[in-house]
Amino acid sequence: MNRALRPAILATLTALVLLVLSPFALVAVNAVKSPDEYATDGPLSLPNGLHLEGIADFWIRVDFGEKLFNSFLIAGSVAVLAVIVSVLNAYALGIGRVRGRYAFLVFFLLANLLPQEALVYPLYYMSKEVGLYNSQIAVVIIFTAIQSAFGTYLLSSVYATFPREMLEAAAIDGAGKVRTLWRVVVPISWPSLSVLFTFFFIWTWNEFFLPLVFLISNDKQTVPVALGVLQGDRLMDATTTSASALLGILPAVLFFLIFQRTLSRGVMSGAIK
Amino acid sequence: MRSNRGYAAFLIPGALLSLVVIVVPLLMNVGISFTRWQGVGTPEWIGLDNYTRLLEDENFWASFRNIIFLIVAMAVVPTLIGLVLAAVLFDYVAKEIGPRTASALRSGFYLPQVLPVAVTGIVWGWILNPSFGALNAILTNAGLDGLAKNWLGDPAYALYSVMVVMIWFQVGYPVVMFMSGLQRVDPELYEAASIDGAGWWRRFTRIAIHQIKPEIYVVLVTTTIAALKIFGQIFVLTRGGPGNATLVPSYFAYQNFFEKAQVGYGSAIATVLALIIVVLSMLFLRIQARDEQKDAA
Amino acid sequence: MRLLAPPLNFRVHSRGGRRRRRAAAVAVLAAASLVLAACGADSDDSAGGGDGKTLKLWHYEGATSAMGVAWTEAIKQFEASHPGVKVQFEPKGFEQIRQSAGMILNSDEAPDIMEYNKGNATAGLLSKQGLLTDLSEEAGKRGWDKIGPSLQTTSKYDAEGIMGDGKWYGVPNYAEYVMVYYNKDLFAKHKVAVPTTLAEFETAMDTFAKAGVTPLSVGGAEYPAQQIFYELALSKASRSFVDSFELYKGKVDFKGPELTYAANTFADWVKKGYIAKNSAGIKAEDMGVAFTQGKFPMVISGSWWYGRFVSEAKFQWGTFLFPGNTLHPGSGGNIWVVPKNAKNKSLAYDFIDITMKPEIQNLLGNSGGVPVLADPAAITDAKSKELIDNFTKVTSSDGLAFYPDWPAPGYYDVLVAGVQHLINGTKSPDAVLDEIAKPYNDNLTSLGK
Repeated sequence: MNRALRPAILATLTALVLLVLSPFALVAVNAVKSPDEYATDGPLSLPNGLHLEGIADFWIRVDFGEKLFNSFLIAGSVAVLAVIVSVLNAYALGIGRVRGRYAFLVFFLLANLLPQEALVYPLYYMSKEVGLYNSQIAVVIIFTAIQSAFGTYLLSSVYATFPREMLEAAAIDGAGKVRTLWRVVVPISWPSLSVLFTFFFIWTWNEFFLPLVFLISNDKQTVPVALGVLQGDRLMDATTTSASALLGILPAVLFFLIFQRTLSRGVMSGAIK
Repeated sequence: MRSNRGYAAFLIPGALLSLVVIVVPLLMNVGISFTRWQGVGTPEWIGLDNYTRLLEDENFWASFRNIIFLIVAMAVVPTLIGLVLAAVLFDYVAKEIGPRTASALRSGFYLPQVLPVAVTGIVWGWILNPSFGALNAILTNAGLDGLAKNWLGDPAYALYSVMVVMIWFQVGYPVVMFMSGLQRVDPELYEAASIDGAGWWRRFTRIAIHQIKPEIYVVLVTTTIAALKIFGQIFVLTRGGPGNATLVPSYFAYQNFFEKAQVGYGSAIATVLALIIVVLSMLFLRIQARDEQKDAA
Repeated sequence: MRLLAPPLNFRVHSRGGRRRRRAAAVAVLAAASLVLAACGADSDDSAGGGDGKTLKLWHYEGATSAMGVAWTEAIKQFEASHPGVKVQFEPKGFEQIRQSAGMILNSDEAPDIMEYNKGNATAGLLSKQGLLTDLSEEAGKRGWDKIGPSLQTTSKYDAEGIMGDGKWYGVPNYAEYVMVYYNKDLFAKHKVAVPTTLAEFETAMDTFAKAGVTPLSVGGAEYPAQQIFYELALSKASRSFVDSFELYKGKVDFKGPELTYAANTFADWVKKGYIAKNSAGIKAEDMGVAFTQGKFPMVISGSWWYGRFVSEAKFQWGTFLFPGNTLHPGSGGNIWVVPKNAKNKSLAYDFIDITMKPEIQNLLGNSGGVPVLADPAAITDAKSKELIDNFTKVTSSDGLAFYPDWPAPGYYDVLVAGVQHLINGTKSPDAVLDEIAKPYNDNLTSLGK
């Protein structure tokens, strides 16, 4: 590759990324402004120093620590469970080539296809019947179903191209279906699983609508729902919203940054030869 | 030669979950679409009235027209951009500059997906504000006053503005997916190809794109479906306005469900939307399955 | 193939070993979190079970707002006068209550007392479904009906869920109304006097427009624009128009003098530059901030901005009622409701009573809110006095005209869209009137009127 192209490409990419991240800069700038500054200078001005009282007040007002814990709990549980369910489904559909796999795929994908508004009233009535209304378990179950739909689809597409030789080698070594899954399929598809895990966590973390409907008591609510407190009927607290948004994003971003190292680890290659 | 029977057992947990959480509510939703109901009390059966009303509702047709544009903005464009970015990052940046730079750039592109939707709306409202938004401020300072439009308030521009925001939002997802898929490509294949005299472009299109076909299909299908279902961003950016310039089916359904308390009508909208999504997905899956069969052959 | 098998297994194993441990750890974490979540569901506090020991209270007013301040004091007084009873207060999000109120009240999770939106589409709907307790007896006993008649309109709902007459289902604790806020400094700079008639108002705006300053800060993407539209209609309206429009007591002619005047004048104001042509995309929040930044000399909006302008506007400012009108948008504020499924109703009634006491009402008034039962002499804060005096002027002439989006569920979106057409010039005033007439009349039909 031409040596001269290198700085050009890097520069273009960096410019692009900065452009993409500029809204974040806006959020950050407004997060540390005092409401006075915001009212006088508008959202696009730079703050005069750091005003952190808004964040502190908000944290105490909604007991943000508790909300972080709730979000983490729910997002984490869903991520784990959904990956497990996805792997099981995809194993059967992609590798096992179960009969009617096409119909099954559509069946599982259905969870991802339906608009959430359509599900709310029926799920509300069903959860009331079993006493799970206003419970985090209900939210975890629902999102596991929804996220694993995507996971099933992605993984079964990936597993459909799984190198047959490895499965046969395992079979020759006397491994049954479960062992093959655990010892061969899962390790090799680990990058895909990590991607799924990361996506599921972040997607569930940011879910607003269903937790809003199902988590009524304040002590069960998640971060996005708590953020909604700041948006009143007619008035909105922009600086605190920005501040709390940053607080809310940080865990998801940290999570993503940590896990994307796993994404970079190369998968075993050349073993087929 | 492999017994396919034992594999069915692995489907049981997923199938049960889907049945209870998705299929049953779906059927209930279809049932409600034949009634008039305010969410509390007993629904009143009215047969196909909701559906006939839908066909005459100009908002309904407008919402689907807008969706076509959003599919371009959320599926087609991000996938194309994502492919190029992923290839450049994976093939070039990671190799020539360093994998950590590539990772950092990838994280940067993905970050818009992590921002809560409510905040996305507020921030883009600040950027696109016609009087003192960042975009118009920059345009005016650069002497391009004429280009400083009323981005979210003018029906001529609103949908396009939303499309740009959605591209911004969506581009990181294909990048992550494709880069993960590109890791599966056997470098030996590249070497063999370059020995045969193939340049970077040919190696990219013949080998890389071919190998990450599963990811490409998944990305296309899921982004299209996401576009069909889009709700949150419309809610915070324009509330479907001005007029119905940015109205989308999910938001239209939401208005009926929760603001007008016309749950039956809302269910009808949701059912139609779900039907369209299911049909489209089945089409996609068919195409993908046939493609896989061709490859296996 | 055989020769490769051992290395294959070996490689898989060594990765598998590390992966397996990590996977096991994750699985344990998952199990633990499931258990925790389950415990969370179990330790659900059903402690407030009609035992008279706790009052479950919800509201969604900010802690520093006038209502927040007054109600925090009320909680203190309640606990002082009810020894052994704890108030379990949960600050809620407005969006959550607006969306899920019906679902919540229809379940075990209903609180004992909660703030809720007044209006047919909200409180009216819930009362019709039997989810709210009838408060008529308590209102009479405890003297809550001392508030003026126009304030009572939003408390009473009939069997069809329409406000006006009927049983008491809610108690307003504060009020709100729409006025014109103006920047005194900018008025002085452009030598404009405070207008007292509509003609003077237009002249004042013209002065600003000719000087290159858009006179009105307008939020066309949300509620503010339609309130200006409504003010214009009210300038030509009588009480019976309001009764017809809001309470369905008569037929509303959308091509009648009030609404045609409103549509035509609004479009006219856009043409003359009084309302910025690009305001269709501006949110209410940005409209208010633009005013505090001194970018516009006037903003027509509600008393809910008052406290905020007091603390954030760095210039001299004042208010005046929309010149020439006797009718103004406004109403009783959000109401206290007691859900049918509430477990401690008498405690709830006591709490409502405390918030209606002069002491709490005066505190509300002095904190920048508009009380319903305050003693005017006890309002010591100068700026609050101005706010409350104007309100008294409105109520004493029975001038509260409610809000334009109340008559039909979802009418808010219809009006936003319609007024946006006026701002953008994409539809003629006549066409816009047709557009907003249809859902209104459809709603009447579905109500059987």
